[in-house]
Amino acid sequence: MRTFDYVRATDTQEAVRLLADDPAASCLAGGTTQLDLMKDGILEPPRLIDITRLPLHGIERRGESLHVGALATMEELAAEPIVAERLPVVRESLLLGASVQLRNMATIGGNLLQRTRCRYFRDPGVAECNKRSPGSGCAAVMGAARMHAVLGVSERCIALHASDLAVALVSLDALVHIQGPTQRRTVPLTEFYITAAESPEHENVLDHAELITEVEIPLPPPTARSGYLKVRDRVSYEFALTSAAVLLVIDGGTIRQARVGLGGVGSKPWRAYEAEHVLTGAPVTTATFLDAAEATMRDAWTVPGTEFKVPLARRTLVRELQTVAGVTS
Amino acid sequence: MSTVESRPLIGEGISRVDGPRKVTGAAPYPMDFSVPGQAYGTLVQSTIAAGRIVRMHTDEAAHSPGVVTVLTHENALEVGTGPASVLGASPPAPLRNDRIVHHGQHIAFVVAETPEQATAAARLVRADYEAAEPLLDLQDPRAEHLHDPWGMDHSRGDAAAALESAEVTLHSTYLTADNTNNPLGLFATLAVWDGDTLTVHDTSQWPSMVRASLAMAFGIPESSVRVLVPYVGGGFGAGLRAWPHVILTAMAARMTKRPVKLVLTRPQMFTSIGHRPSGVQWLSVGIRRDGELVALDHRSLSSLSMEDNDFEPFSSGTAFAYQCPNVITRDEQAKLNIAVPTSMRAPAEAQGNFALESALDELSYTLGIDPVELRLRNHTDVDPRNGLPWSGKAILECYEIGARRFGWSDRNPEPRSMRDGNWLVGYGMASAMFPYFAQPCMAEATVNRDGSAFVRSAATDIGTGTYTVMAQLSAEELGLPLEKVRFDLGDSDMPDSMMAGGSGLTGALGNAVHDACRRLVRSFVDLVRDDADSPLMGISPHDVECSDGRIHLMGCPDRGESYVDILARHGTPQLSATGSSTPPDAKEIGLSLAGAYGAKFVEVRVDPDLGLVRVARVVSAIDGGRILNEKTARSQIIGGTVGGIGMALLEDTVTDPRTGRIANGTFADYLVAVNADVPELDVVFVGEPDRGTPTGTKGVGEVGLVGIAPAITNAVYHATGKRIRSLPITLDTLL
Amino acid sequence: MRDVASERDVDSRSTVNERVVTLDVNGRTYTLRLDTRVTLLDALRDRLGLVGTKKGCDQGACGACTVHLDGRRVLSCLTLAAQAEGREITTIEGLTGADGPHPVQRAFMEHDGFQCGFCTPGQIMSAVALMAEGRAGSDEEIREYMSGNICRCGAYPNIVAAIRAVASGGGHDAHL
Repeated sequence: MRTFDYVRATDTQEAVRLLADDPAASCLAGGTTQLDLMKDGILEPPRLIDITRLPLHGIERRGESLHVGALATMEELAAEPIVAERLPVVRESLLLGASVQLRNMATIGGNLLQRTRCRYFRDPGVAECNKRSPGSGCAAVMGAARMHAVLGVSERCIALHASDLAVALVSLDALVHIQGPTQRRTVPLTEFYITAAESPEHENVLDHAELITEVEIPLPPPTARSGYLKVRDRVSYEFALTSAAVLLVIDGGTIRQARVGLGGVGSKPWRAYEAEHVLTGAPVTTATFLDAAEATMRDAWTVPGTEFKVPLARRTLVRELQTVAGVTS
Repeated sequence: MSTVESRPLIGEGISRVDGPRKVTGAAPYPMDFSVPGQAYGTLVQSTIAAGRIVRMHTDEAAHSPGVVTVLTHENALEVGTGPASVLGASPPAPLRNDRIVHHGQHIAFVVAETPEQATAAARLVRADYEAAEPLLDLQDPRAEHLHDPWGMDHSRGDAAAALESAEVTLHSTYLTADNTNNPLGLFATLAVWDGDTLTVHDTSQWPSMVRASLAMAFGIPESSVRVLVPYVGGGFGAGLRAWPHVILTAMAARMTKRPVKLVLTRPQMFTSIGHRPSGVQWLSVGIRRDGELVALDHRSLSSLSMEDNDFEPFSSGTAFAYQCPNVITRDEQAKLNIAVPTSMRAPAEAQGNFALESALDELSYTLGIDPVELRLRNHTDVDPRNGLPWSGKAILECYEIGARRFGWSDRNPEPRSMRDGNWLVGYGMASAMFPYFAQPCMAEATVNRDGSAFVRSAATDIGTGTYTVMAQLSAEELGLPLEKVRFDLGDSDMPDSMMAGGSGLTGALGNAVHDACRRLVRSFVDLVRDDADSPLMGISPHDVECSDGRIHLMGCPDRGESYVDILARHGTPQLSATGSSTPPDAKEIGLSLAGAYGAKFVEVRVDPDLGLVRVARVVSAIDGGRILNEKTARSQIIGGTVGGIGMALLEDTVTDPRTGRIANGTFADYLVAVNADVPELDVVFVGEPDRGTPTGTKGVGEVGLVGIAPAITNAVYHATGKRIRSLPITLDTLL
Repeated sequence: MRDVASERDVDSRSTVNERVVTLDVNGRTYTLRLDTRVTLLDALRDRLGLVGTKKGCDQGACGACTVHLDGRRVLSCLTLAAQAEGREITTIEGLTGADGPHPVQRAFMEHDGFQCGFCTPGQIMSAVALMAEGRAGSDEEIREYMSGNICRCGAYPNIVAAIRAVASGGGHDAHL
């Protein structure tokens, strides 16, 4: 790790100002991505701004929205009764991620900003990485790709966004509240991310001197059912090979509302609008679910090693639709 | 003295004597030692797999804060190569020249005042290379092959002719992946020179070997080197060699005249301390319709590094696993630009057994014979290689008791016939064996004036329970309560021990401890032979036994006296005796030395849509000879089973096909089984004390792993109708 | 041989960013001058000599370095020492009370919940936290919520048995 200056910010404005003052500075929250990448030599900020003591920890329901402070931890959010009651898909995506120790550290804001697990990106000994050094190439495309993305990718980069939570939140139309040096803004999570196909080196729309302060989750109708299925080789403590976040409002055998997110497949947390389109207004049957799955993944771009994700993602979605709808195959 | 035969087969399952230290964090592992004034080392590793270094750029690192020195092949001390062992030649000396033979080879060693400074400076070391195309694919025709490198190829009868005429034949190819030992303890070395005397704390399963290697490296007598390792932090074979990083740390300490400490990083653990090599196996089986084997032709090719060797005769077990008149086994190794492979828990047998037990399962369906029954029909009580009876082989009991505990008879033999919701259910089984490997071993036993005993040997306890079982054995031999006996190990200054490997230590060391204790009792009897004050006067050492801290006439506890009284009366502070053991000679005792045997029964759940395989139950029936401690022995079996689940379903060290770089060299990417992968595991010990050795034990450190992978793939076949011949069974395999 | 090299007076360190950090560990307060890069794990091990907390990966992927921060289990390898300032830190060394080992420590011994013992401090810190979290209700729950602690020796079934025993009262007084 390169030596750095450690500064502890005490309020949000100060943190943003410190960031604005130093174009190379980084924020430190839970540390589970930031310190890991600094140890790997991928990130080498000369100044680290510890934001963990900013007053952004609260979780509060206001009307039909849940406002989650960016520094609330994954375990804290998962433990909220309202999350268990109204947002099972969020709770499950949280509890299926990482380990308890990591969830006690990792923050909600940090979770959305987590970096890819691509081992080619994470090894400075690998020269070809467009994410680290634009224009250098992509070693993963020609290498051992299995944990990589098939949507929103190109031959320039196939890095996966590995967050489970973000897949659930993107399907729920969560909003990201952002504080900059001069202004605040709110960005829908569906517009927050940039795909690797668009730009390997830029992963989201956050400017250097901006902080996520809060994530706002609109509460689904009380009649909605939701859930998250994560498919992986190891029973626990592994990133998703594929996953599906599903929310359905069903009325008399017909799907009135459908929200679908897919994980383990995209260079960003993937919202499957095509599936939602097929599902909305359709009868609650496995045939509908198969059609919805078939509508997804059509733009997949695979390399040797990632082809299996196309059928697996579809099957994952069908299974979770069945589970949430209470339909057996 | 009491005899082994009079003792129970299964020793008391007392809790580990080192438990209090381990659960409080007080057990010191090599990385836990520090000395004043120590500097910290960090390795720099090559980023190409083949070629040569044209130029090293070390200036920036050398001038980085806190850096003491940067060693490369241009300024390193020339050191000698260590001795060969049964596992192969000593690994090549570090920083010898500009040649690169694998990705991750050590090319520089940075020493700095703090670990943070060393790590930061290491990133500044750069190398210019002249890269060559690496050989990475096991089946690359350009790779040089070693044929029968261990002289274990076997041939009897005429396998080719028997295959030709067999009623039923099966020809199959099996693939097994590279696995990485990955003990949880990062390997660490702390080297301290005092003049020409070297003390090293090192993660090792074999301190004597490290001592010999360091002595030869630096041209000093072995008596000038002391290797300490009271606690190991796991090894699974990775600690059986004196690795280049150990030599490098001692070299840096010598050159800087400072104690130097090195702790490997987890990614470095994938390239610096060995791994289980990948392999391809070709197996042809000829069998009669009634299930009697008539021919086995088993050939293997496994990976080897360019400048090392590794004991890995995959097919060797097939020569004696079953009765079969016509057998041929052939092993080859291909030299590749990969990091050094080495023994990993159940080396060779884990892979060879996977092929053989998969083939038998496949044939059981072809012939319509129950898999257990098929194995019974080919059982042999004699070693088919030499016709000698086995010193102990209770595998029939393993089948019977294992099948009963598992409920094997409930199995519907039809594949894909059992279901539970979305899950297909499958039952599978496999036989297992692991022939132990023993070496000469020594131990010293002492009884002190206060009646306590101290027994020691330069062995290690890698988690197998050596501290505990040797204390138990000593207490039993000396007739002392366990709390009066201390067993110590992990110091090369103690009497020489064999490695903690090859499932041989408990037997070899146990026999040495047994011998030392018997000699010690004899010394006591000798001391009072002419002692008119002793009730033991004139008694032959053969006629005594020990209990309650006393030596007494056999069967007559009243006629005897305590160690304390004897030592007090003779004004002797203590008596000591050294004992030894050598592996028994099969011809001499007329028995073929058996290893441990087992039968493994597994239930899996397979989600055919998602490709998921989950292990639901495992029953392991084990013949481990005499079991010294039921609790620690059971732990060995469950630990091996967990390793087997990893081998079957998860573990695969992925090498980048272009560069030879390990593509998943972290614990987040290389998957080992976690708690949620492991169901309740049933273990039962059967059999008799082994007739080949005085203590009657067999090693159980490896037999727990053997057979798990084929039992799982066999169960997957039963569940799904899909035959898997390649490990691991990641979920894409079953989609 | 287990002395900790406490003071290193090295001129070249002046170019290193340092910070005075006060740590509250197992009820004691320590003030250290630390390179800002020093993790809580390395501060505990190399500076305070509390080597019971283990380094198994240094990448947040094995759980060997688990400690409690304000009563919650976290990974000390991905926590900067400076971040832990003002927090109550408990390590394996702080778990043993005046009346001897913690019930979870005793249960690990009784049920042979370890082999080489290297992951054990992390397993035990995790297990104690798991019980406080109320997640020892079933074997399935214990397995899932102990999955952040890798045991390469494969002692998992015994770890589950040890936790189950304490959770169910199993003869030990569970003062958690």
